[in-house]
Amino acid sequence: MGLVTWARTRSPWLIHFNGAACNACDIEIVAALTPRYDVERFGALLKGSPRHADVIVVSGSISRKLKSRLKRIYEQMPEPKFVVAVGSCANTGGTFQDCYNVMEGVDKVIPVNAYVVGCPPKPEAILDGVVKLLKSAGY
Amino acid sequence: MSYVEENKKTLERLVEAIGKENVIDSKIPKDRRVYVTIKTDKLRDAITFLKEKEGLFHLATITGIDLGEERELNYHLNRPNLIFTIKVRIPGDKPVVPSITDIIGGAVLYEREINDLLGVFPEGHPNPKRLLMTEEWPEGVYPLLKKWDVKSLRKAVDGEEWT
Amino acid sequence: MDMSGTEFSIPIGPQHPALKEPASFLFKVDGEVVVDVEPRVGYNHRGIEKAMEARTYIQNLYLTERVCGICSNAHQTLYAMNVEEVAGIIIPPRAKYLRTFVHELERIHSHLLWVGVAAHEIGFDTLFYYVWRDREIVLDILEEISGNRVNYAWNAIGGVRRDIPSDKIPKFQKALDILAERTKYYTKVATTEATIANRASGVGYCSKSDMIRLCGCGPHARASGVNKDTRRDNPYLAYDEIPFNVITAESGDVLGNVVVRVGELVESVGIAKYVLDHLPDGPIREKFNPLQKVPEGEATNMIEAQRGEDIHYLCSKGDNKPYRYKMRAPTLANIPSLILKLKGGYIADIPIVLAGIDPCFSCTDRMVFVDESKDNPWDMTSEELRKYGIRWYSNGLNK
Repeated sequence: MGLVTWARTRSPWLIHFNGAACNACDIEIVAALTPRYDVERFGALLKGSPRHADVIVVSGSISRKLKSRLKRIYEQMPEPKFVVAVGSCANTGGTFQDCYNVMEGVDKVIPVNAYVVGCPPKPEAILDGVVKLLKSAGY
Repeated sequence: MSYVEENKKTLERLVEAIGKENVIDSKIPKDRRVYVTIKTDKLRDAITFLKEKEGLFHLATITGIDLGEERELNYHLNRPNLIFTIKVRIPGDKPVVPSITDIIGGAVLYEREINDLLGVFPEGHPNPKRLLMTEEWPEGVYPLLKKWDVKSLRKAVDGEEWT
Repeated sequence: MDMSGTEFSIPIGPQHPALKEPASFLFKVDGEVVVDVEPRVGYNHRGIEKAMEARTYIQNLYLTERVCGICSNAHQTLYAMNVEEVAGIIIPPRAKYLRTFVHELERIHSHLLWVGVAAHEIGFDTLFYYVWRDREIVLDILEEISGNRVNYAWNAIGGVRRDIPSDKIPKFQKALDILAERTKYYTKVATTEATIANRASGVGYCSKSDMIRLCGCGPHARASGVNKDTRRDNPYLAYDEIPFNVITAESGDVLGNVVVRVGELVESVGIAKYVLDHLPDGPIREKFNPLQKVPEGEATNMIEAQRGEDIHYLCSKGDNKPYRYKMRAPTLANIPSLILKLKGGYIADIPIVLAGIDPCFSCTDRMVFVDESKDNPWDMTSEELRKYGIRWYSNGLNK
C-alpha cells in the first residue's frame, strides 16, 4: 500500500529521549513538528509519557547518569516497541567517543531497531527512519 | 586609547595594594588583557580590592590547570575593555584554596566545578557538594588531572576494561 | 527532611518540549510556593574538556561545535579566536565579517526558537508554530552558505571555510527583509498580547543589584536592567565597526526576558543586513597547517553568545594539541540568579521562569516536589507541569 494509506492506518506515537545530546538532533526532531515538515499529517505524535508510545527516538551519546533512566523509560513502554537512534552520537558516540562520561551509543544500553545517520540528520531523514522501521516491522 | 592606560593603572594599583612581594608575575599581552600571578594567601584581598576599587565585580569563571606538581587557578574578572585574570598556584599535595563566595556571590558554582574536576577544595564555601559527577563516581578521582586518561578513568569508575 | 535520596530532573521540557536534557532541581515547597531550590547539573557532562586535550587543534574545531547544537557556531568561533591568538594569526577582514554574519544568524535562529518554545510553555501553540516556520528562513540561508542547517562548521583556524558568492547576496537580503517584517510582528505580539503578559509579568523577579552580585549575563541579565553586552564592551570580530543597540528592560521578570530577546532579534536582523552590505573584499582564510605545533602561550576570550557571555581559556605548551582548554557556557553563570528567581514563586510559574533564562542544558521529564507540610515527595512530568501551570492561571488561581 502507498505511504499515505499506510500512514493513515498506522500512526506511530513517538517519545523523545535526550541522552546528553548537544541538542542539534533534538531541535531537528522538534522541527519535524513544525509547518514545513509537519509530521502530524502522518499521524505521528510526539507524546510525553513512555506508556503511550510506540517508538522511542533517542538522541545523544548517553552520559553515565542517564543510563539507568533510559533503561527505565524503555521498560515502561508497552510492547510492541521500537527504538530509533538518531544522529551519530546515538549510533556510535559520534565525536564524543573516548570521552570519559559517555556510554558511546544507545545500543550499549538498550537494543536498537533503526539508526538514523547525520550530525544532525535532517527532519526528513528522521521521519524516513521511523517510517522505514515500521514498514519493515510489518506495519 | 584611554582604556589601555586605565588597564595598566589598574594593575599598578593592585600591586601597590597587596604589596609587590606578593606578586609573582604579571603581563599585559594585548590591549584588553592583564594576567597577574599572586600568592594564594593574598587572593581574597586582591579580589576584594579589584571588586570595590577597580570596577571588576563580575567574575566570568574560574579556570583550573593541572601543571603536575602544582595546580594553577585563574580567576577571570571583567569590565568593559578588560579581562583581568588573577592566577594562583596551589600545591598538588595540599589542594585547598580560600573561597571567595562571600566577596563575589557568583563564584558558588565555579568553585564547586573546580573541586569536582581538579580536586581543589574551596575552603569556606557554603555548600561544597558535588556538581557534575554522578553519585557513583568514586571519591578522589578528579578527571581533569593529567595522571588520568580516558581508559584509566573508565576503569576507575566502571571497574572493568572498556573496549 | 531527607531530600537526598530521590532523583528528579527538571524538565526544561517547558522551554524545549523535546529538549529534555537532564538537569535536576530539587524544589522544596510549602503548599503552592517554592521555598528552596537545589540545582544538580551534570547529566549532560560528557567529558569534553578532557577529550580536547587528546585531539589536535583541527579536530577540536568539530568537537567544540558540538558542545551545544544551538550555540554551536558561537563556541567554535571563540575556539578559533583563541587558537589564532596563541598561534599569532590575524584573520583577513572578509573572514571577520563572514564570521559575524553567521554569528548573528545563529542568534536570530536561537531567539526565534526560544520565542516559540516559551509560547508553547504558556500554551500559546499557534505562536510556536508561526515562529518556527519563520525560523526556517534563517536555516535556509545557513544551509545555503554552509551546507548544513545545524552545525555549520563555518570556522577554520585562520578564517572561514567557505565564501558567500556575491550573486547570492541579494537573495539573502530579501530573505532578511521578510524576517525583519516578521520580527516586528512578533515584537508587537510579545509586548501587547494579554496571554503572555498574564503569565510573564511580575513572575520570576530578580533585581539589578542581585543580578550583578550573582554575576548573571546575557539577555537574562539585561532583562533586569544590567547594561552589559560583550559585543559592545569587549568588541571582537567586526563589532567595533558595526552600529547596533543593546536592548535592556527594567522589569527584571520573565516579560523583561521576552522584551529583550525580541528586541535583540530586530537588532540582529539589522546587523546581518549591515554585514552583507559592507562585506569587504579579499581572502577568507589564512594558512594554518593541520599538523603544525602552536607556540607556547595562553589566551582568554569572550563573546556574546545567544544566552550570554561565553568565555574560553586556552593554555598551550607548544604541542599540536591543547594542554588545557576551558569552556564556560553562559547558562552556568545564570543558574545562581535563576535559583533566586524561583524561590518565593509558585509551582505553576516554574516552567516559564526556567524558560526565561533560555537554558542550554537539557532537562528530563520529571520534577520532584517536597512539600514540607506533607510527608511524601511527589513528582510531575514536564507535560503535567506545563498543563498545571496553564490550568492554574486560566482558573484565576493566581488572584
